Amino acid sequence: MPGMNSGLSPGDPTLVAAFRSALLHQGAIALLMLAFLGLLWATARTWRPAASAGTSGVTAGEPMEARARWLLRTGFGVLWIFDGILQAQPKMAGGLATQVMEPIAASSPGWVQHLVNWGGTAWSYHPIQAGAASVWIQVGIGTWLIVAVRGPWSRLAGAASVIWGLIVWVFGESFGGIFAPGLSWLTGAPGAVLIYVVAGALIALPGGAWRTPRPGRLLLAGLGVFFAAMAVLQAWPGRGFWPGRAGGKPGTLSRMVTEMAGTPQPHFLSSVLSGFALFATRYSFAVNLVVVIALAAMGAAFLSGRPRLVRYAMWSGIVFCLADWVLVQDFGFLGGLGTDPNSMIPLIVLFSAGYLALTPAAQEAEAPARAAEAKRPGVRSAAAAGALAVILLGAAPMAAAAVNRTADPILALAISGDSTSLNLPAPGFSLTDQNGRTVSLAGLRGKVVLMTFLDPVCTSDCPIIAQEFKQTGQMLGAQAKNVELVAVVANPTYRSTAFTRAFDRQEGLTTVPDWLYLTGSLSQLGAVWRHYGVAVENLPAGAMAAHNDLAVVIDPAGRIRQELSCDPGPATVSTRSSFSVLLGQYARQALRQS
Amino acid sequence: MSRGPAPRILVGLALACAGLTAGCGARTATVAVTRPSAVTASLSTSLTTAQGTWAIAVMGGSAASHNNFWQLFVRRANTGRWSLVTPEGVADNGGLVAAGGNGSLVVGFRPSQELAYSPLATSTDTGLNWTPGLLDAALADTPGAIAVGPLGRTLALLQDGTIEAAPTADDAAAGQWVPLATFKALAASAPGRSCGLKGMTAVSFGPDQNPIAAGSCVRPGVAGVFTDAGGTWRSAGLTLPGNGPGMGTVRVLGLTAIPGGNAALLAVGTSLLAAWWDGTRWTVSAPVTADGVRALGFGPGGSAWLLLDSERAEIIAGAAGSTWRALPPVPAGTRVLAPPGTGTLAPGTGGSYDALAVAGSRLTVWRLAGGAWGKVQQISVPLQYGSSG
Repeated sequence: MPGMNSGLSPGDPTLVAAFRSALLHQGAIALLMLAFLGLLWATARTWRPAASAGTSGVTAGEPMEARARWLLRTGFGVLWIFDGILQAQPKMAGGLATQVMEPIAASSPGWVQHLVNWGGTAWSYHPIQAGAASVWIQVGIGTWLIVAVRGPWSRLAGAASVIWGLIVWVFGESFGGIFAPGLSWLTGAPGAVLIYVVAGALIALPGGAWRTPRPGRLLLAGLGVFFAAMAVLQAWPGRGFWPGRAGGKPGTLSRMVTEMAGTPQPHFLSSVLSGFALFATRYSFAVNLVVVIALAAMGAAFLSGRPRLVRYAMWSGIVFCLADWVLVQDFGFLGGLGTDPNSMIPLIVLFSAGYLALTPAAQEAEAPARAAEAKRPGVRSAAAAGALAVILLGAAPMAAAAVNRTADPILALAISGDSTSLNLPAPGFSLTDQNGRTVSLAGLRGKVVLMTFLDPVCTSDCPIIAQEFKQTGQMLGAQAKNVELVAVVANPTYRSTAFTRAFDRQEGLTTVPDWLYLTGSLSQLGAVWRHYGVAVENLPAGAMAAHNDLAVVIDPAGRIRQELSCDPGPATVSTRSSFSVLLGQYARQALRQS
Repeated sequence: MSRGPAPRILVGLALACAGLTAGCGARTATVAVTRPSAVTASLSTSLTTAQGTWAIAVMGGSAASHNNFWQLFVRRANTGRWSLVTPEGVADNGGLVAAGGNGSLVVGFRPSQELAYSPLATSTDTGLNWTPGLLDAALADTPGAIAVGPLGRTLALLQDGTIEAAPTADDAAAGQWVPLATFKALAASAPGRSCGLKGMTAVSFGPDQNPIAAGSCVRPGVAGVFTDAGGTWRSAGLTLPGNGPGMGTVRVLGLTAIPGGNAALLAVGTSLLAAWWDGTRWTVSAPVTADGVRALGFGPGGSAWLLLDSERAEIIAGAAGSTWRALPPVPAGTRVLAPPGTGTLAPGTGGSYDALAVAGSRLTVWRLAGGAWGKVQQISVPLQYGSSG
């Protein structure tokens, strides 16, 4: 999965600072928007107190919200907000693609990896926008679910939960690992966010649907089939959940539990998990037997649809799920870059809502809305609009970034640090280009010169830098005709035009307009290296000639405007694109300055 | 009328089982197929020229992290001391290939990482100074990928099996090479079809100074050695007695020019043989058996050596009718053997071999004397770890 790895450390200080700054800026904008909406609502309420009651979706005669729907709405609202807060972890922008998406997708089939790589690449190209967007979208959906009690606004919140949940399930969870081996209910199959999707779909149902036990029956029947299927998967002999060790290796169950116990986590939890891992390894058969029986029993009880049986299954299921959440799932978000509390809490909320829907309270069908709610016309609608605005605050820049095929320059800045703005006369030179023609800097006046130093027999950085320069030229579009891409040979020995031409052929630069690869005698080159502060020397024992990776931006008047390191760092597709964007920005700036 | 719980449970379980059957298939047993491993030649080698004996060995750390650096050492004529003479200016993590002739040594850098072509370096003063050269293509990963003729004509075997030629040393320096033959054309030629040519492994010059190319042939007992006569490639007629021991693919691991002819090292299955050509007739040695060859090379007068697994080493003199002779187990870390003598000075019966052993950045030279290896020199090589990463 080559695209999703930017190659940068998730904790890179530049990325972390940029992510924090983006969150603060967008947070301030969100507050301003909410204040504006509040003001708008207060004004509208003052001017049109009677009309506002009609827009709230709450009327005195409207039935109360079903308990099951209330549980789903507030439960998953809180979960989305919690997930949004987890998305704001400092390392999330730089780490989600490589530490969350990539490892999950690694064991899935090629087509899943391909799909996830597409999403991961988009993330790695724009980590700050994507990271911040995830925070605001999830916080926005959660808030929307909580504040929009009923009516179209509330149902729309459910639909938003479905759409975003599916995106996260596909790209963030690789379809919950359902196409990967080792699928188990214990570790979160079929993906926590798929449960959010189911809940969102239920919330999006018309309010009248909750007046009968039908949604509860259907939900519990679906959950019954799910639990039964998970029991079969858990019991299947060929999947290795029964033995503690098989063929000298840990069994599937003991390996899963041991791996989870091995992740970094608070000390108090560490000893509990280690103890359970030891127990699960020693008594793997017994542990798996309990799991299989419990899953099968829950499945059968939910399928029966009998309220009493379902009630027993619900309470024992809560205990069972909580035990798994602590002992196997490690609370879901501890021990790494956690993005959600995993599947057990959402599952508890879901089957509890199923039970409540199966047994609607008598007053749900007929009781009028609480007077207090009826007396707050429009406040929830205004709050829901605010939540939607928060979602758009994250989604708009993310959508813009997704269609942008070039990477954020923040990656290049993270690798090489800030560039230096200068306003100095560029030292002149007269060298020979790859075609044997003499080229002087004075002869390039009137154009922006993007200049760097490349070793034609370099095995690592120089070909990558050349590609970045080439890409810069392509990105400049029509402005490229005012820009000259110049490289000066940086090798004391391998410096003839035969080598500059071979390098151009190797890198596909022979057809790039305005590309000059300049060389000269050792004394000519030495003077240029010295004037531009580039140290070049041969190293012994089979090492590459050493030189610093430097790029300068010379404006049309022949003055150096920018000096920056062009060390390609990890040289991933995103960092290459990022440097090209940065260099292109400096070229445009130099053109404007002229 | 509502349905009872039992049918629902059964239907649910049935649905679950049906849906999961595809994901719960029984594991298929894996069948291990064992085949004898093909013997291949490492780039570690030594060669002799009139100016001295040259050795190529890899040193340093992991190739995966580009901390492997190939080094060229020379033991100049009439001296017993080795010197580090690796040409500077190019990262050589991809490997070095060298050939001597016309009073010079030509070294080719194999491509690595982002570098796709092969810079060259030529020395006429035993590695004290080097002149850069260019082969605008990737050299093959075999120690016989370059050959230099007496008049400076140079041959290069490319990664794709193409053979290119530079008429003079100046042409080689300027990157002016012309294609001599492609692998496709050679394989489609009458001698190529006849032997079932599968890949090229070495180039050299024959006794008439015409190019020779060698490769691997699948036809049992037939070695792929071809001579170029005015643009037409012909078989050099090297066949193994009794269709070859092992009856498998015959690989030419090494090929070199010797006074009045050529010498070759061949692998057939786990058997290794030497062969000598005087321009009209081949003489083939008795085989020596080995599971793997760590390095091989030629010495003066068509002599040859093999560094085998388990610290085994075998040598053979160039004279027709000579047989393989085992050396005492070589010191740990030995990467290459260097024969005694020079290109113009045969080792004689009293000559002694050097074993060049590598530990990280330290090269230790062991010399065979009185039937035992004795340490004679150590060279600390200033490896630039991390410079190619």
